[in-house]
Amino acid sequence: MAPQPTNLLQGTLDLMILKALALEEMHGLGISRRLEQITKGTFQVKPGSLFPALHRMEEAGWLTSSWGESENNRRAKYYRLTKAGRRQLEAETERWGRISLAIAQALEAS
Amino acid sequence: MRFVSRMKSFLRTLLYRRQIDTELDEEIRSTLELLTDQKIKEGMLPDDARRAAKIQLGGVEQVKEGVRAVRAGAWLDTLLLDLRIGLRMLRQSPGFTAVAVLTLALGIGATTAIFTLVQQVMLRSLPVARPDQLWRIGDAAHCCYSDGYTQGDGSFLPPNDWSLFSWEAYKLFRANTPAFEELAAFQIGEGNAELGVRRAGSPAPVGTANGEYVSGNFFKTFGISAWRGRLFGDADDQEGASPVAVMSFHTWQGKYGSDPSVVGAAYEINGYPFTIIGIAPPGFFGAKIASSDMPDFWLPLTTEPLIAGATARLKNPRLAWLDLIGRVRPGGNPKTLEAQLQVELHQWLASHRADMTSQEKALLEKQTLHLTPGGAGVSLMRENYKQALWLLLMAALCVLLVACANLANLLLARGLKDRHQTALRAALGASRARLVRKALAESLTLSVLGATAGIAVAYAGASLILHLAITGPDTWVPVDAAPSTPALLFALGISVITGVVFGLAPAWMTSHAEPIEALRGANRSVGGNRHWAQKMLVIVQATVSLVLLSAAAMLGQSLRNLEHQNFGFDTSGRYLVSIDPKISNYKQEQLVPLFREIEDLRAIPGVRMVSAILEAPLRAWAWGHAIRIEGKTEDDGSSGSTRVTPGFFETLGDKIVMGRPITDEDNADTRPVVVINEAFAKRFFGKESPIGQHFGPAPQKNAAMYEIVGVASDIDFGDGLQPIYFLPEAQTTHFDDAETEEREVWSHYLYNVVIWAPGNPPGLEVEVKRALANVDPNLVVYGVQSYSEVIHADFAQQNMIASLTWLFGAVGLVLAAVGLYGVTAYGVEQRTSEIGVRMALGADRGSVLLMVLRGAFWQVGVGLVLGIPAAVGAGYLIASQLFGVRPWDPLMLSAATLLLGLAALIAAVIPARRATRIDPMEALRCE
Repeated sequence: MAPQPTNLLQGTLDLMILKALALEEMHGLGISRRLEQITKGTFQVKPGSLFPALHRMEEAGWLTSSWGESENNRRAKYYRLTKAGRRQLEAETERWGRISLAIAQALEAS
Repeated sequence: MRFVSRMKSFLRTLLYRRQIDTELDEEIRSTLELLTDQKIKEGMLPDDARRAAKIQLGGVEQVKEGVRAVRAGAWLDTLLLDLRIGLRMLRQSPGFTAVAVLTLALGIGATTAIFTLVQQVMLRSLPVARPDQLWRIGDAAHCCYSDGYTQGDGSFLPPNDWSLFSWEAYKLFRANTPAFEELAAFQIGEGNAELGVRRAGSPAPVGTANGEYVSGNFFKTFGISAWRGRLFGDADDQEGASPVAVMSFHTWQGKYGSDPSVVGAAYEINGYPFTIIGIAPPGFFGAKIASSDMPDFWLPLTTEPLIAGATARLKNPRLAWLDLIGRVRPGGNPKTLEAQLQVELHQWLASHRADMTSQEKALLEKQTLHLTPGGAGVSLMRENYKQALWLLLMAALCVLLVACANLANLLLARGLKDRHQTALRAALGASRARLVRKALAESLTLSVLGATAGIAVAYAGASLILHLAITGPDTWVPVDAAPSTPALLFALGISVITGVVFGLAPAWMTSHAEPIEALRGANRSVGGNRHWAQKMLVIVQATVSLVLLSAAAMLGQSLRNLEHQNFGFDTSGRYLVSIDPKISNYKQEQLVPLFREIEDLRAIPGVRMVSAILEAPLRAWAWGHAIRIEGKTEDDGSSGSTRVTPGFFETLGDKIVMGRPITDEDNADTRPVVVINEAFAKRFFGKESPIGQHFGPAPQKNAAMYEIVGVASDIDFGDGLQPIYFLPEAQTTHFDDAETEEREVWSHYLYNVVIWAPGNPPGLEVEVKRALANVDPNLVVYGVQSYSEVIHADFAQQNMIASLTWLFGAVGLVLAAVGLYGVTAYGVEQRTSEIGVRMALGADRGSVLLMVLRGAFWQVGVGLVLGIPAAVGAGYLIASQLFGVRPWDPLMLSAATLLLGLAALIAAVIPARRATRIDPMEALRCE
């Protein structure tokens, strides 16, 4: 398997996926495109990481999925946030804020 | 919330696995299509786009595997998958599976069989309520009563250490120790009370049974309630109470066919009326475990004087014959309790200062006792079998080790054979962890199958051991060959351990496959370290087998030495009949006529001589006691004594070396005479002639009691060649002190009839029993045994150890040979082309044969180099079990080495001959 970003990014990937799905439901490829877009190319999620994450989050009850038609009439599996997923997004966003603030302060300190 | 969601998907994973997998396939495929569409839109040609999409996705199978791995219950899912694959692979090669399962079944079975016995004999608690609350006063298991105010002889038992007690001391402890909720007393030893039991008014012959005298609160202390009827209590254990008895469930079921009318019925026990008031619950066998004579009946202590009559011990404070176990109140501190009991012991001893001998007074201050956990009861069997069982457990573990080495070797060879497939799997993206897990699942499946078969082997094995160790149809021990729950868990545990430990290494080695090997095709590369590992395993097998074989050879030789040692008389043609005139209620004056009638058994065709003796040679120890020689002042002499009827020496073939034997003339009307053995003559008279000298039991005033009329050559009574003297049955002397007088009375009840009937007369046993029934139908007869059977029974335990070690050695040898065969055959197969080249270049068949044999014997040789010191070490470890065999015995060792070499030769020659038949042309064409 491709070397993955670190553990820190495990939580980060979840947060990013939740964020990407906050506005509308999307299929796997769409999510990866959206992530690339909103991070201005910093985040390139490989399918090898994306799909396990999606399935894990679905099992955790944050996402739910259904089959639908894609933009060019292909059948695709669409993911959508659940209520629990929204709560998780809020909690994670708040936590991330605290962490990034703390790290930023730590880096400025010396 | 999150947990519920995980649980739901866990169940979904389990139940709809196929559907989920299809959905996942579809999802990945659609992603691939979407990606391709996107690439085309960006301007790629369709074929390029598809390729680029695949590259970007990064391996469909890997993505799917990643998703599967994060699913809830993924581990279970892969486990089931692995197990399914494992089972499928095992089904595909039934030969391999059969050999592996059989190997494991032998190893696990042997170990579990021994563990079953270890658990039941050594580790088990009594089947009673709250065994953890039970504490025993005393720490040693005694076979026999103790006489006097000191205990522990300092040789077998720690000095001055009390473990058994008189009734008086028991009552004192019970009355003065409130920390005990209940304190029970029960008769010690294996012998118990020998009972003759018959239903009142029944014409049936008297049946023999074992009784145990126990205190009234015995059942209450152990928290036992009746299965039928009631159990006795303190009210029944009073002098003057009507005599009652409780029957064991085992006896009720076995001897009385679970007859409900037994309960409440009147019985004659040794001729006295008793009521059987109840049946103890199934599984309850009392508070002690012995390898023979487990109690059939429990009788209140106070009935002992009734049955034992003049020889009763109940009221003799000098005689310690009771084990004490009590239930300590919750919160009681054993240390404080022990200190209190020590004080009570001293108070009791002090009250008997006047009755003590001077030696006893001198040792008074040193007397002590210890409180020990009593939940496991008192077990002579534990003491007797402790060493033997640990020894056998070690041997069984050795077999298991050899078996496991075989399993590892088989797995390794198989893994190497499947290398191509493994490499292919790796090429298709299976991770190494996954490959190891698959191999582990296979070895675990094997070992669980092996354990299942092993449990059957264990049951058969434990039954065999019990059969070997406990001879005699009437003996019953509370040990069950069926594996108990701990034994089953043990089997499961070792199967998992062997599966993991001996599966992991081969799995790791063989999973290390370079994908490129799969593409290269032919089995060209051979990992040197794998071959090395196989050889190591064979070396270990050879080493362990040698140790087992040499131990078996030593134990076998030791048994032969024991059985064929010089007992001082010719055992062939001699038979022993055990009788019990005491429980048959004979009066003393009836005994001489009885034995005279028994002597008439020589009318049976084939029988030459018949006589009787108190304790038969090789059957029991003769009672040892202090004696005084007339005219000599030394007072530290002691001797054994026994009592015989005229003709005894001739019947047994014991030569009279000086003077005359005991004859019919030595009776109540003539002076008391005695025949001594050579050891006695040498010990007390040296070169002097003993004929005409006088001696008697201590004290000095009895020194003129017996006149020595003859000296018999030494015979072994069961404890080697000790001084012993023989008194005539027809003579009686009288003593002042009650104890010696009591001994004098009961020594006239001879327990053994010796028969000399050379040439194996047919039907002797039936004839003898019929003739004895003619003498007196009420006489209790236990059985007729030839002396070789007596000897065999004496050494039953040694026989069991030797037989089982042989069995283990043989199994180990066969397994090691199979292992060597496997490795050699595999080596030949691997080197087919090399051998072909050698032969093409001019090597002849002989040199090829030698080359292969050299390889095989190199491993066996290393095994021997390691095994011989290990075998000598093992010899020193089992030295205490050996008789007449040195732990370092070159003969035994070379026999074991030879056996191992022979087996190795057979195992190596088969593949070596195959190597010589290799056709060079064909071998080279394979390339």
